[in-house]
Amino acid sequence: MQRSVSSLSLSPSVKVKLVNAGFQFTADLLHVKPLQLSKETSLSQLEALEVLQAVRGETGGGDNGAGAGGGGGGASSSLTALELLQKEEELRSIVTFSSQLDAALGGGLPVGKTTEICGAPGVGKTQLCLQLAVDVQVPQCFGGVGGQVVYIDTEGSFLLQRVVDIATAAVQHCSLLVEDDEQQVAMATFTVETILSNTFLVRCHDYVELLAELHLLPDFLSNHPKVRLLVIDSVAFPFRQHFDDLSQRTRLLNGLAQQLISMATSHKIAVLMTNQMTTRLRGGQSQQVPALGESWGHAATIRLLLHWAGPQRLANVFKSPNHMGATVRYQITSEGFRDVDQSEQPPSKRARKHTVQMAAAREPSET
Amino acid sequence: MDQLELNPRIIAAVSRAHLKSAREVLCVSGSDLQRVTGLSSSDVQQLLIAAATSCRRHHPIAALVLHRKFDAGLRLSVGCPVLNQLLRGGLLVGGVTELSGESGAGKTQLALQLCLSVQYPTQYGGLHSGAVYICTEDSFPIKRLQQLITDQSLLRSDVPPSLISSLQFSDRIYIEHVADLDSLQVCLSRRVPLLLTRGLVRLLVVDSLAALFRSEFQAADWLERSKQLLTFSSTLHHLSSRFTTPVLCINQVSSFFLTVVGSFSCADVRGESQRMLHVYTSYCDQKQKHLYLHYVQ
Repeated sequence: MQRSVSSLSLSPSVKVKLVNAGFQFTADLLHVKPLQLSKETSLSQLEALEVLQAVRGETGGGDNGAGAGGGGGGASSSLTALELLQKEEELRSIVTFSSQLDAALGGGLPVGKTTEICGAPGVGKTQLCLQLAVDVQVPQCFGGVGGQVVYIDTEGSFLLQRVVDIATAAVQHCSLLVEDDEQQVAMATFTVETILSNTFLVRCHDYVELLAELHLLPDFLSNHPKVRLLVIDSVAFPFRQHFDDLSQRTRLLNGLAQQLISMATSHKIAVLMTNQMTTRLRGGQSQQVPALGESWGHAATIRLLLHWAGPQRLANVFKSPNHMGATVRYQITSEGFRDVDQSEQPPSKRARKHTVQMAAAREPSET
Repeated sequence: MDQLELNPRIIAAVSRAHLKSAREVLCVSGSDLQRVTGLSSSDVQQLLIAAATSCRRHHPIAALVLHRKFDAGLRLSVGCPVLNQLLRGGLLVGGVTELSGESGAGKTQLALQLCLSVQYPTQYGGLHSGAVYICTEDSFPIKRLQQLITDQSLLRSDVPPSLISSLQFSDRIYIEHVADLDSLQVCLSRRVPLLLTRGLVRLLVVDSLAALFRSEFQAADWLERSKQLLTFSSTLHHLSSRFTTPVLCINQVSSFFLTVVGSFSCADVRGESQRMLHVYTSYCDQKQKHLYLHYVQ
């Protein structure tokens, strides 16, 4: 397997000099002495030494360059799809307390992937985030993941009172389900106090603080291996202000998306982001679309759209690689994010709503 | 930039690229940084981590620690027990609340009441400080305020009369008149922070933002208008979180029958990340007025 020189973690000017001197692959550099290299490529001695160190480091299967997110193993190791499938199946999804939404998501919020929630103000995005921040901590013997959560709050909408409400309801719900000794023991570690102690809160006031926090998170996640959920509420708010140069914003958002995806896969966490809605004018018509532009639409693996249909609240899964688009009804009670009691609703109504929502949720645009 | 703990070689490369502060470094995307400084990707990683560490204000803290702090759930009472119950204690101290409704619904009344209730001590739901009231349209309703002050002992029967008579309510309400967006910007960037820093006020009321935006922008300039709105929204948020002060924004609602890109979509654009309190007036056979409060959190 030939590895090209341009994939090494060196500065671009050094790589250009190497290529111009005829060193295309790392194999060419294996038996070269530093002095010889610096003469042929007109690099300084120090730079030549660095190049050879990098080459030896790579072929030894060592560090792959910090940008790869610490994936473990050098460039030559790869996984078969079967191994990947097995790894994925080991990761459990985070069960919400809404069985309808779990069904639409194929078992719950997937760990190892990024999910985005869009919606108008007041529809329940933060409520769902708070609910999931509690749900991730449900012990494994109850079907949960038993993990911790990092909650990045950019809007100031993380209300402790509300978290306490949701946590109390969750603890109560689980204590009613206790059937055997193992669950009894687990309940001792699942109380409102432990839920609060396993929630790590960060408050970011602008986009620079948010970016800074995300650069420092991989370190934090390595020190806290029990974290299974990262919530960013919301990504849109800090990025919708003060940006005169929209292309810079797009570049920063793309970088952010890549960081989140690499964190999700390498640390095995679920990443949940909220987005706002913006109005797009087309002809004389206005339409509500997710904010932050069209390229941001590719950042999340799964996208949920929460919206109103009259007095009802609906959640629509409109982007998902493994599931069909589905719309479910939900409600926000004092206990949190819950299903609506299905007994009153005739099945035919649900099918109609589904197609209307699919049409309405298409075509996000630049803002 | 020099204060970052980095290899001098990296710092030199960064200054050659004209990046002067850690914030600027973070604003450049990863691959652009590599190109501009000529550093290798592991060096860029180190640089980003050092810059991020200096920009970070707090480490992630466990929510339990916050819960145990004394002023965790601090709220500003609205002065009415029914409303306080609806709002779970009152206005949030660390956030912006929007109060919208049709004209005559009672928004200014509620704002005046808040200006008085903020002056009581915390045990009576206040914040023991004054209020700054920014007027954009009509002149400040001084007569109505005087009426409310005179009747405080009746209106706030939960507070001992001796305390009420000892408070000089009108002395601690600072009234600002602004006629356009530029003067609002000046007011919010200079005078209001001064009052807040000195601890003289702990409530900011803006009555109303819609008036300024309606008069200055035509329907076609909506893009410029939403930019300005987002800027003001951000300024208000920063003031609120920096000084842990509740901010009350009064908005207006156009008639529901007109699809005008007017003040109703003000609420639409700016409604995010604020608690919205809608005050509706409903007429039942033209004779009775019902006040509906719809709280969205």
